[in-house]
Amino acid sequence: MSFSRRVIKQCYAMQGSSRYTGVKQAVYNLLENPQAPIRPYFDIFMILLVLTTVWLLIYEVKNDLGTVGDLIEMVAVGIFIVEYLLRFWIFNDSHKVILERYERAEFINQPFDLWPALSHALLGKLKYVIRPLAIIDLLAIIPSYRPLRFLRIFLLFRLFKLFRYTRSISEFVKVLSEKRIELVTLFIFMAFITFTAATAIFFFEADQQDSQITGFFDSVYWALVTMSTVGYGDITPNTTEGRVITLVLIIAGLGVISFFTSIIVSAFGEKIHEIRAHRIYSEIERKRIDTLICGYGRVGQVVAERMAADRRSFVVVDPVEENVRIAKKKPGHLAVVGDGEDTELLLSLGIDKRIQRLLCLTGDDVVNVYITLTARQVNPDIEIISRANHRENVSKLYRAGASYCVTPYEVFGLIAAEYAGQPVAFEAVYGLLTGQSHEGIEAVRIKDECVLVGRSLESVDFTRRKLTPFGVIRERDSGSAEEHANYDLQGRRFFFNPGKSFILEKDDLLVLLGHEYSVVHFRDCLERGTL
Amino acid sequence: MSRLDTLIFGCGALGQEVAMQLAERGIEVYLYSDDLDEVGALLAKGMQAAVVDFKNDDKLRDIGIGRWVKRIFCLFSDEPSNLFLTLSARALDADLKIIAVCESAASGQRLMAAGATKVIDPYEISGHRVHERIARPYLVEMLESSLFGKHIDIAEIEIPDHSRLNGAMLNDLGLGSLFNLIIIGVVDLELGRELIFANSGISHRLDGGDILVVIGPEAEISRLKRAVAENSLEPASDSGDP
Repeated sequence: MSFSRRVIKQCYAMQGSSRYTGVKQAVYNLLENPQAPIRPYFDIFMILLVLTTVWLLIYEVKNDLGTVGDLIEMVAVGIFIVEYLLRFWIFNDSHKVILERYERAEFINQPFDLWPALSHALLGKLKYVIRPLAIIDLLAIIPSYRPLRFLRIFLLFRLFKLFRYTRSISEFVKVLSEKRIELVTLFIFMAFITFTAATAIFFFEADQQDSQITGFFDSVYWALVTMSTVGYGDITPNTTEGRVITLVLIIAGLGVISFFTSIIVSAFGEKIHEIRAHRIYSEIERKRIDTLICGYGRVGQVVAERMAADRRSFVVVDPVEENVRIAKKKPGHLAVVGDGEDTELLLSLGIDKRIQRLLCLTGDDVVNVYITLTARQVNPDIEIISRANHRENVSKLYRAGASYCVTPYEVFGLIAAEYAGQPVAFEAVYGLLTGQSHEGIEAVRIKDECVLVGRSLESVDFTRRKLTPFGVIRERDSGSAEEHANYDLQGRRFFFNPGKSFILEKDDLLVLLGHEYSVVHFRDCLERGTL
Repeated sequence: MSRLDTLIFGCGALGQEVAMQLAERGIEVYLYSDDLDEVGALLAKGMQAAVVDFKNDDKLRDIGIGRWVKRIFCLFSDEPSNLFLTLSARALDADLKIIAVCESAASGQRLMAAGATKVIDPYEISGHRVHERIARPYLVEMLESSLFGKHIDIAEIEIPDHSRLNGAMLNDLGLGSLFNLIIIGVVDLELGRELIFANSGISHRLDGGDILVVIGPEAEISRLKRAVAENSLEPASDSGDP
C-alpha cells in the first residue's frame, strides 16, 4: 500500500505545484496553443528543420553526407524526439485521472486500488499515441535508428509533419475530409471500374502471343493509367476486344475525373468563406486588433473611416455581404461576414480576451442589446459603446452593460432644436462638434516633466498663440485650487474658464479652444519645453 | 388651430424627438405627416399632429407655408419625400428656414440643391461622437456634461444699435475678466454668416446687429444679457487680456 500512498502524494504535489502547471502551460503555448504569440516562430523553425532533414535525405542518395550532415540529422532527430515526448506529456493530466479515481474511492469509502487507476491513466496516454499526427511524428523518428535503416523511406513522413505547422495545408485536409462521403463513393466507383476493366483486359489479352500484359498487376496498372486519362501507352491492347474495353474505360474515366474535380471545387466553394474568415482571424491576432465594430451601417461607416484615418486598427462584423465587400475596399478596413449575435464568432474574434472595445452600431436595438449583454458577460472589462435608435432603449443598454450610448435621433433633436433657437451659436457648436471646421476644442495633457507644472496660466501668452484656455480637467484627489469654480465630471473636476491665477499641476488636461494648427504648435512647444 | 411659426413634417421617431426637444425650449410645434397611423399615434400621446398631403401646394399654403410659418423641419424617413417637400416649400417662400435630415453626404447635397437652409446628418454626427469618444474620451465627457448638460450653456447675444459697445474692438472688451464667460467669437451679418473666432488674431470692430457667441454658466450669461440690454457695459480703456 505504501507505493500507492506515495503515488497519491506525488499526484497531489503535482496538482498543487504552480511551477509544474506553469511549465506545462508554457509547453502547451509553444506546441499547441494557436493563440500563443510564440507559436508562429516555433512553427517556422520546425518547418525549416523538416525541410533541412528532407533535403539531407535527398542529398544522401547520391553523395556522402559527412560529419556535419550527420550532426544536423542527429540534432534534428533529438528535437523531434523531445517534441514527441512533450506532446505526449501535455496531451492530458495523468495525475488528475488518478486523483479523480482516488477521490471517488474515498468518497464512497471504498479501498483505493492503484492499478486500475494507473491503467486508466495509461489508456489516456495511449489515445495520444494512436492519433494520426502522433503516428506520423513517430514514423518520422524511428527510421533514424540504425537497425531500422531499411525503413528510411518513412523519413518522408517528416514532410507530413508539416501538417502540424502550416494552417493552409491542414485547412485543405479539413475541407477534403468534410466531403468524405462523396470521396468514398467515388473511390468505390473507381475501384469497381478499375477491377472490371483490369479483369476484362486480362481475360482477353493475357494469353495472347507477344502480349504486353504478363500478370494481373499489369492489367490493373493499365486500367488506372487509361482511366485517369494519363495514358502512358507503354501497355496497349492488341485485340479488338481489348480496344473496345479501352474505349469504354476512357469514357468512364472522363466521368470519374469530372466527378472528382467537381467534388473538390464544390468543397472549396462552400468553405471559401470560412477559409477567408480564418485568414482574417489570424490577421487580427497578428495585428493585435483591439476594437470590434458590429454593424457597418451609416454610423459604422463614419466611425470606421475616422478610425482608419487615425491609423487605429479595428475589425468590422456585418451580416450583409455587400457591406463587407464595401468595407474591404477601403484602406485599413478588416471585415468579416457574420452576425453580431453569433457568440461563437465573437469569441473567435477574441472578445473575451484581446478585444478591449466593442462598438454595437447596428440599426436594430434588439441586436445591440443582445450583443452588449453577451459581450459584457464574457468580458467584464471591455468598453462597450452602443447605439440606441430609440430613447427608451438607452436605459436598457446601460443595464445590459454598455459603457456609453449614442442616440442618433436624440443628438439630431438636440441639434435641430438648438438651431431653431440660436442659429448662430448653433453653427459654431455644430462645427466644433462634428470636427468639420478647423477651429476646435482640443485637450493637452500636462506631463510630469512639463515646464508648465506648478506655473499659473498667466505665464503663457495664450492670446499671442491664438488660443483660449477653455478649461482644465483634473483628477479629484488633489485638494488644491478649490477656490476656482469647478464641476463634477465622473470622478474628476472640471474647471471652466480658469482664471490667470490658476496653477497647473501634472496630469492636468488643459482644454484649449483654437485653430488646429495653433494647438499642434502649442503641443510641439510643450514637448520641446520652449514656451 | 393657432398660428405656430414652426412645423415639423414626418411623425416618426425623429419628428417626435425634435418636437420634444423644442418643447423643452418652449417652442410649440405642429407635426404633420401623410401617414394616418403615425399621426394617430401622436394624437394619442397628446401631441399636436395632423394629416396633410404635402404633395399639394394648396394644402401647404393652407397650413401656413409662405404666409406665417418661419421654419419647417423635413424629417420624413425617406429621402424623396424630404426632397419634394423642400422643393415645394422653397418655391412657396424664399425666406423660409428649411432644416432637413439626410442619410448620406450625397443626399445632403441634393437637399441643399433643392433649397434646404440646413441639412443635418444624424448618422454622421453619431459616428463622429463614437469616434471622439474613442479618440478623446475625457474631452467628450467634458463636452457632454457641460455643453449638453446643466452647467454650461452656449448663447448668442445681439448688440443693439445704440449700445455703448458699438464701435469697440472685440479684443478690448475684456469681458473675460468681468464675467466668467468665454467669448467664442462674433458674427457680423454684414460680412456674412461666418463666425469670426475671438482668438483668430484679427480684432473685430463691433457694431449694431453683430452677434456675440459666448460660453459659460447660465447665471453669467443672463448677467451679460442684462448688462447689454441695460447698456451698462463700458468698453475697457486698457487692452484687456495680456
